[in-house]
Amino acid sequence: MSWLLQRVDDRLIHGQVVVAWGQRLHPRRIWVADDAAAANAWEKDLLAAASPGAEVHVVTVAEMAAAWAGESEAPGGAFLVVRDLATALALVEAGAAVARFNLGGLHYAPGKTKVNEYIYLDAADRARARALLARGVALEVQDVPAARAEPLAALDPESAPA
Amino acid sequence: MTARTPALLVMHSDLADALLRAAEKVYGPVEGVEVLSNEGLSREDLEQAISRRVQDWREGGLVLTDFWGGSCHICGVAAARGHGDVVVVTGINLPVLLDFLHNRDEYGPLALADRLLRKGRDSIRLHHGQPV
Repeated sequence: MSWLLQRVDDRLIHGQVVVAWGQRLHPRRIWVADDAAAANAWEKDLLAAASPGAEVHVVTVAEMAAAWAGESEAPGGAFLVVRDLATALALVEAGAAVARFNLGGLHYAPGKTKVNEYIYLDAADRARARALLARGVALEVQDVPAARAEPLAALDPESAPA
Repeated sequence: MTARTPALLVMHSDLADALLRAAEKVYGPVEGVEVLSNEGLSREDLEQAISRRVQDWREGGLVLTDFWGGSCHICGVAAARGHGDVVVVTGINLPVLLDFLHNRDEYGPLALADRLLRKGRDSIRLHHGQPV
C-alpha cells in the first residue's frame, strides 16, 4: 500500500504538507489532483518546485482516479492532496478507493462557518462531507502529525449523515 | 543612489512582525517595510493580499519569506509573476533582514536579492566550545 496520506487542503502543497507530514512519512511521490492546476503548466512547475524531496504529479481528477490502483501497488509511499471537499467527493465518485481523508486546511471564505481554527465549511461542503461519510470514507480533522486526529462528524454534527 | 527598495515580509504566524521588531532593536525604527502573516488565509486570499501590496512597486521590490515550499513562499512567487523586478527571497533570518535595511538605499531589487542570498548563506556559522 503506497498511500500514506490523503489530504484536503486549499493550499495544496505547502509547509505543513512538505515539512510536517513529509518529514514524518517520507513520501516518494506527491499527487495533486486538481483540474485547474493540471491545466496550468506554470502552476504545475510551481508545485513541483515546492517539494524538492518528492516527485510531484499534478493531474486531473479523472487521471488520478485512473492512476489510483496502480499507485496503490507502487513501491515507496505517496501523498494525495486535493483543494476541497468537492474534489474529494468527485475523486471517490470517479472510482478512487480512498479509505480516509485528512482535513488539513479549509480556510475562511464568505458563507463558511467555523469548525475549528483551520476548517470552515458551508452547506455545500457539509453535504459533500455527508456523502463521503455515507460512502464509508473516514474524514479526520488534523493539521499536523503532532495534533490529534478528530472525526469531522464529532467536531461538526451537521456534517454527520442522518 | 537608487530609489529605496521596498519590501514585504510574509511569514508564518507572527514571525514577520516579531522579526521586524527584533530588527528595530538593532537597527532602530524602520519605515517602509510591510509585514503579512499567512494565518487563517487560503492560498487564494494570501496570494491576493501579497499582490495588492506589490502592484504599486513601480521599480520592483522584495518579498521576503520564511522557508521554501511554504505557503508564504509559494504565494509570493505566484504574486510576483508578471512583475519583472519583484524578487522573492526565501529563508530570511535576522542577519539578512538587517542587511536589507542597511543596503536598501544602495541597491536595486535584483542586486539586493543577490546580496541577501549570499548574506543568508554566510550568516549560519558553527562555533565549537573549547576545552577549559
